[in-house]
Amino acid sequence: VIAAIDRRDPSAERSRAARLQFVRLDSQDITSCMEQNNSLPPFAQGLASPQGAMTPGMPIFSPMMPYGTGLTPQPVQNTNSLSLLEEQQRQQQQQQQQQQQQQQQQQQAGASQPQGVPGVSGQTPQLYHSQTVTTTTALPGNTPMYTTPLTPMTPITPATPASESSGIVPQLQNIVSTVNLGCKLDLKTIALRARNAEYNPKMVCTGAKSEEQSRLAARKYARVVQKLGFPAKFLDFKIQNMVGSCDVKFPIRLEGLVLTHQQFSSYEPELFPGLIYRMIKPRIVLLIFVSGKVVLTGAKVRAEIYEAFENIYPILKGFRKTT
Amino acid sequence: MIECSRGSVGDALPKVQCPNHPDALLVEDYRAGDMICPECGLVVGDRVIDVGSEWRTFSNEKATKDPSRVGDAQNPLLNGGDLTTMISKGTGAASFDEFGNSKYQNRRTMSSSDRAMLNAFKEISTMADRINLPRNIIDRTNNLFKQVYEQKSLKGRSNDAIASACLYIACRQEGVPRTFKEICAVSRISKKEIGRCFKLILKALETSVDLITTGDFMSRFCSNLGLPKQVQMAATYIARKAVELDLVPGRSPISVAAAAIYMASQASAEKKTQKEIGDIAGVADVTIRQSYRLIYPRAADLFPPDFKFDTPVDKLPQL
Repeated sequence: VIAAIDRRDPSAERSRAARLQFVRLDSQDITSCMEQNNSLPPFAQGLASPQGAMTPGMPIFSPMMPYGTGLTPQPVQNTNSLSLLEEQQRQQQQQQQQQQQQQQQQQQAGASQPQGVPGVSGQTPQLYHSQTVTTTTALPGNTPMYTTPLTPMTPITPATPASESSGIVPQLQNIVSTVNLGCKLDLKTIALRARNAEYNPKMVCTGAKSEEQSRLAARKYARVVQKLGFPAKFLDFKIQNMVGSCDVKFPIRLEGLVLTHQQFSSYEPELFPGLIYRMIKPRIVLLIFVSGKVVLTGAKVRAEIYEAFENIYPILKGFRKTT
Repeated sequence: MIECSRGSVGDALPKVQCPNHPDALLVEDYRAGDMICPECGLVVGDRVIDVGSEWRTFSNEKATKDPSRVGDAQNPLLNGGDLTTMISKGTGAASFDEFGNSKYQNRRTMSSSDRAMLNAFKEISTMADRINLPRNIIDRTNNLFKQVYEQKSLKGRSNDAIASACLYIACRQEGVPRTFKEICAVSRISKKEIGRCFKLILKALETSVDLITTGDFMSRFCSNLGLPKQVQMAATYIARKAVELDLVPGRSPISVAAAAIYMASQASAEKKTQKEIGDIAGVADVTIRQSYRLIYPRAADLFPPDFKFDTPVDKLPQL
């Protein structure tokens, strides 16, 4: 886990919040994190005696404890506790609800399931490196949106004729989020004592593949910081940016597109090989390439990505290369 | 010598007319300061003041003693009508006080608000001079810069960067685009920064520019390489055909142009290497190689029908 932590002046007041920004976790990292957690007992035990930094009254979450014992899983959505177990339980509940919902909807809506089932479609998600903070975890199928927990991953389109819906679903590649730990942090201590931490004055994290994983990774790292003895809280988790990509499967005439949509497009082959389309209605920037690949970015919620793609698809169809 | 006066100077001014011939256009004799009726020769208006310069200055080399009291030509479009008076350093003995310092020192802030703009104009002029750009492009650049400067939306950016981007836009708008790399060569600003300013200026001025084509650069690149007109025309044809047949999708037009020049020159007597073409065009020779590989299979279709081959198509180098 590489975490980016803003440096704060050590002489700053306690009340000043530190923003913890997260970045990339592979699925391997998650499992290795879990293993490391299990191997941390001496570490955790060393901190078991309250040094005044840990919140008293909160059960100390020792990774050696088997799941479900000794803890009261609180079904509160906006919990500030850093218990990862609760997080996972909540996700599982949501997943079950979502699956039930999906089954119901499948029975009701009949066909018109878009073909782009995530993780199964031919578009293998590729991890993009971004300089901003995102949390990624590549666990397929575990993706309810945080804000509306019942949104299924594949948007079930209303029963429209096949010609109107594109049938292609953009895959999310990267999610940037920030969270407020609500306490002062000593970066050097964290860098030296936490595993997989590098100390650069500006540490950067990279992306999550879904909102829930972003949140999960944020919680995990807040946990790590907490174990180091800082009274970390989990306030104001907010997703700042989401990036998605997809393929329309036909080549595109960018010159035509820039002629007709001049006020939105910028195509400078000397500067960048793709056309930069700044959509107004959901405020999204799309990078459109000759090959037919489209990258959408700048979204705060997943629906904006889908909406933007549905908006641009008929336009792109109009500029399909015929040869 | 004798000019004809413009008939009706304006309705506000009292019309000077010959009393006997009110319709006659008065002829102005400016040497004597008279306005004369051509019909009867009556001197209608006298003591007309001439606003031209006293001496006609033919040359501008001797800048020290310019006898014209009217001064330099105004640049009204760009300077905001600067009518200030500047006091220059004195030349006689009386202008120095006892310690040898000059008495009147104020020569600063002649036009403080436009000082940065004047500086930028000078910079633009220097840059344009390096690549021999004509006056119309320089004027257009100055106009663009003035508009951007007055808008203040790009105030934080370096003036040199904005000036370079304005130069780039002006070349584009005049139909003779210069590549970013060519502008970089005469400016101290990086290509990235010029590109950023370029996009910002287009947004600020709400204009757009046409897309660049391969033909825009042919004449310049070919003449820099010393290629004859036949080869240049062939290269233009090849590049255009290649884009029409969509052999090079997604490639920058400069790279395609360079590859076309390479193919045309290799088929003619004046063979140029990829490195030479890459130097002139500002593309890497591997880039030329890549684009060349894409157009090579259809080489026979790409040449103009009346081209005289020095090296036949099947003997073209295959990279």
